Amino acid sequence: MAENGGCCPPMDLFRSEPMHLVQLILPIESAHLAVAYLGDLGLLQFKDLNSDKSPFQRTYATQIKRCGEMARKLRFFRDQMLKAGLTPETRSALEDDLDVDSLEVKLGELEAELIELNANSNKLQRGYSELVEFKLVLHKAGEFFQSALTNAEARQREIGSTQTGEESLETPLLEEQTTDQSKQVKLGFISGLVPKAKSMSFERILFRATRGNVYLKQAVVEHPVTDPVSGEKVEKNVFAVFFSGEKAKNKILKICEAFGANRYSFSEDISKQAQMITEVSGRIAELKTTIDIGSLQREKLLQTIGEDYEQWNILVRREKSIYHTLNMLSIDVTKKCLVAEGWSPIFATKQIQDALQRATLDSNSQVGGIFRVLHTKESPPTYFKTNKFTSSFQEIVDAYGIAKYQEANPGVYTIVTFPFLFAVMFGDWGHGICILLATLYFLAMEKKFSSKKLGDIMEMTFGGRYVILMMSLFSIYTGLIYNEFFSVPFELFAPSAYACRDPSCGDSTTMGLIKVRDTYPFGVDPAWHGSRSELPYLNSLKMKMSILLGVAQMNLGIILSFFNAKFFRSAVNIWCQFIPQIIFLNSLFGYLSVLIIIKWCTGSKADLYHVMIYMFLGPTDDLGENQLFSGQKTTQLVLLLLAFVSVPWMLLPKPFILKAQHNDRQSGQSYIPLQDTDESLQSETAHDSHAHAEFEFSEVFVHQLIHTIEFVLGAVSNTASYLRLWALSLAHSELSTVFYEKVLILAWGYNNIFILIIGIIVFVCATVGVLLVMETLSAFLHALRLHWVEFQNKFYEGDGYKFYPFSFKLASEEEE
Amino acid sequence: MGFSVTTLIFAMVGLIASLSTRICFNKGPSANLLHLTLVMTATVCCWMMWAIVYLAQMNPLIVPILSEGE
Repeated sequence: MAENGGCCPPMDLFRSEPMHLVQLILPIESAHLAVAYLGDLGLLQFKDLNSDKSPFQRTYATQIKRCGEMARKLRFFRDQMLKAGLTPETRSALEDDLDVDSLEVKLGELEAELIELNANSNKLQRGYSELVEFKLVLHKAGEFFQSALTNAEARQREIGSTQTGEESLETPLLEEQTTDQSKQVKLGFISGLVPKAKSMSFERILFRATRGNVYLKQAVVEHPVTDPVSGEKVEKNVFAVFFSGEKAKNKILKICEAFGANRYSFSEDISKQAQMITEVSGRIAELKTTIDIGSLQREKLLQTIGEDYEQWNILVRREKSIYHTLNMLSIDVTKKCLVAEGWSPIFATKQIQDALQRATLDSNSQVGGIFRVLHTKESPPTYFKTNKFTSSFQEIVDAYGIAKYQEANPGVYTIVTFPFLFAVMFGDWGHGICILLATLYFLAMEKKFSSKKLGDIMEMTFGGRYVILMMSLFSIYTGLIYNEFFSVPFELFAPSAYACRDPSCGDSTTMGLIKVRDTYPFGVDPAWHGSRSELPYLNSLKMKMSILLGVAQMNLGIILSFFNAKFFRSAVNIWCQFIPQIIFLNSLFGYLSVLIIIKWCTGSKADLYHVMIYMFLGPTDDLGENQLFSGQKTTQLVLLLLAFVSVPWMLLPKPFILKAQHNDRQSGQSYIPLQDTDESLQSETAHDSHAHAEFEFSEVFVHQLIHTIEFVLGAVSNTASYLRLWALSLAHSELSTVFYEKVLILAWGYNNIFILIIGIIVFVCATVGVLLVMETLSAFLHALRLHWVEFQNKFYEGDGYKFYPFSFKLASEEEE
Repeated sequence: MGFSVTTLIFAMVGLIASLSTRICFNKGPSANLLHLTLVMTATVCCWMMWAIVYLAQMNPLIVPILSEGE
């Protein structure tokens, strides 16, 4: 592309890196390795040559599915590890070369093992809970029988032995005395556990369903029991239902099922009950040991997985991204090779060729990869090589719009002017020192914080630490100029220039002081603070300062548009845009700046508002006492004429010249230079010639009209917009004064230690919360706006697209 | 010290800063040009701010009128 002239070498970061479209032809054997090495290099942005194919039609769809399966298994392991409370070790670098195929097999084996262990342990756990419940039922229901027996014995002793010895308590209630089977009524019982929450309704429904012909006895279990079905701990009651008849039994069974009551049956015999209890206790102990062994085994397995987990994760992600990239290459079946197209910076050519050579060697391929540069009229992506200092400033500019390929980057000047304008609005060297200390803390902990995961706000603040550092340094400088240390002025550089008129200082509150010495050498004189005429004086000073700084920055913007026009070799932009713009802005607002400086230097009492307004309304009038220099009337007339001439100069010539250029091109396009028979190139030239054929004169004219109106009206509104520098700095100093005088000094005046401490706490909280946080954000935002709108609309187009190379590092950062 | 003397001091400081940046961070001609631009921009901004405040106080039209009780 064009060079910057012979005067100086191209400046870093001023224009985006020159890029070219490259074509790589890779033999299939070395394609995978080549893409892997290019991913490590991270300087090639692949173009998707298969964009019309669906994901399933692409060459490597099966490989991607395999990687997806492996990723799913890894996620499963991660879930299991988190459930068991283990965290995988973090090791970010890939240590040894693991083969993908063997990894796949290994993952499959591990997954099967883990699933089996889980299923077994679940089954065992379920059996264990059932046994525990059974034991409870045996205990409690056995107690029912025990208590019934003792009651019956007591009753029998009371009544006396009226019965003959044939019958005893042990005989069943109804013997089979009748031979009629159908009239036999079987008395039975059902025992089990029911959740305590449902026990009342259980009892009620049993009563209603059996019409009160059952006897239900419940006993509370003291501590929650693990339910075998759900695996959770539930409060339960042991119940025993005594009934008679087959129909009642069925009803009770159905009700038990509906209530989720687990049934456990046992014999009535008391001796057999005791036997069962010992048996069940033995089985419970056995199961417990088995379960413990099982969970130990599982933990060991998970630990071995955890050691290698991070490494496997990185490998699988790498493979997946390599296959995604390979899918973007077009396969040339006859030549058994893959064709890749991509953008890369010109400086990376050697590195890419090296990577291709290494891949050829490592894959033992017969043929090497071919590297070719293609010529195209497509606009390349924008790539700025930034380091950790400049990257945050570049991000600020990119947030508004990515620079067009190789246009002037406002980021270069933003590095200085953004913190500077912030500081103009923030100006207090006490607050500046506080922010500087905070930033130095961030910088000291840089290594630790960059690897840790921080919250959203902390991450933004940490990412912008260099911006904040510059902001704090400039704030200290402007604080010294405004002479404000937590709003208190100091006589740091020389005694104040003002003193009383006479030794008694009688009229200092009516007529004021006078200037007896030389001007205070650095900054605002400390005598002004707290005086009654402080605000009128400082307001006038700061407003004029805002105008001067604004005009300077806008002129810088227009000059950058000149450099752009020179770089892109557009003479029409220089003569029909840059020159009339400079003339217009400076004949009006540049002249105002000059007047301001002359007024200050001469101490004249001229009213600048009057001068500027009557320059338009009555240019031929006599200036009278508003005369600042001789020949002012003629100068103003000339400047007014220049401003009026420059407006049609901005508007009219450019569309006609562009039309003439287009006509020249059209007539000269009957002969097209010979091109390669490359497919992609042919489609591109066809597209370009089609674009050149379109030239709507009305569209170009309207575009130029809008541009002109925007500039002319914008000249006034943008200059006025810079007055926010005055407004915010006034707000900051007033807030600071209020907090100092009305909180700290007031608390000091009471001569009470408690009120003083409370006052200090309130002062610190207010300073940190309002001034250091809110005002910082506010001034940051306004300085940002001044850059994005007032500075950049003079030259910046910002319609490019960012360079996103294929890089494993970038991909892993994005996933996090 | 007058206006011109302090302006000269600013110019000297700017020169010294650019020379020390050249010595400490010498990273090739294009990077050096960037550093020079940054230092020059910073010097010009700081000088402008100082000059504006100084010029405004050279021939003041109003004087400080102290408030009561000072």
